[in-house]
Amino acid sequence: MRIESREKDGIVILDLQGKLMGGPDAETFKATFHKLLEKGQKRVVVNLHGVDWINSTGMGILISGYTTMRRGGGDLRLLHVSDRIRSILYVTKLNLIFKCFDTEDEAVASFLDG
Amino acid sequence: MAGTVVLEFPSEYRFLNIVDLVCGDVVQNLCDNRETANEIAISVIEAVTNAIEHGNCECSDQNVRIAFICREDRLCVEVEDCGKGFDYTCYLQNIPDPANVYHLRGRGIFIMKNMMDSLKFEMVPGHGMKVRLEKVLKPKAGGEIRKD
Repeated sequence: MRIESREKDGIVILDLQGKLMGGPDAETFKATFHKLLEKGQKRVVVNLHGVDWINSTGMGILISGYTTMRRGGGDLRLLHVSDRIRSILYVTKLNLIFKCFDTEDEAVASFLDG
Repeated sequence: MAGTVVLEFPSEYRFLNIVDLVCGDVVQNLCDNRETANEIAISVIEAVTNAIEHGNCECSDQNVRIAFICREDRLCVEVEDCGKGFDYTCYLQNIPDPANVYHLRGRGIFIMKNMMDSLKFEMVPGHGMKVRLEKVLKPKAGGEIRKD
C-alpha cells in the first residue's frame, strides 16, 4: 500500500494505491494519522480510487483512522469507493459511519460546508 | 467450466493478490453477474486472510491451500490452513450490533456468511481448519453455465 498526501482548500487528501489488507499497512496508516493530528490537520479525505481491493483487516485500518481523527476533533471521509468496497461497507453497516463521495470537489466541500 | 483449480502458498499476505486474480478468472468463466463476482471475491479473500492470520498465525513456513471447485450451477471454494482452529461461532452474529460497529476486527466470518449461500467450518485431524464456501450461480447471459 502506498500513501501520498496532498492538500486542497486546507483539507488533507490521502491518495491510496494498492491493496489495503493488514500486515505493515496498519502501522503505516496509524503513523500517518497521528502525524496529521500533531500538525493540526484534522480534516481528511481518503481517496480509494487506486485501491484494487480491501479486506476486513483493511476495513479495520480505516475504522482506526476514523476513530483517531474523531477523537482528535476531526473527521475522515471516503472518496471513490468502488462497488466492491461499498458492498463490504453495507453488509457490515459501516456505511452508517463513513461518509462517501464520488468526486473530490464534493468530498472537500462537505468539510467546508460544515 | 467444470473442474477444480488448486493453489497452495506460504502464509504471506502478498499471495492474496494472486488468490484474487485466480478467483476473478474462475468466476468470470462461470458467471457474468458483477455483484455475485464481488461477493465471491470478497469472501474468498476473507477466508484466506483468516487462514493466514488466525489459522497459521502468519507463519510463512505453513501453507494455505485453496481449491476452487466448479460445478454446473455453483462454485465451491475450500480454504485449508495448518492451525489448531478457533471458535468461529462468536463471530457469526456480533457485528451489525451498533455497539460493535467501531471494533477493528472480527468481521471476516460475518462477511462470508452474508455474501455466500453456505459457509461451513471443519477441523481436519492432523492438519488444520477447512472452510468451505459455496455460492449458487445464475447462468451466464445468453445460455446455461458452460460445461467445458
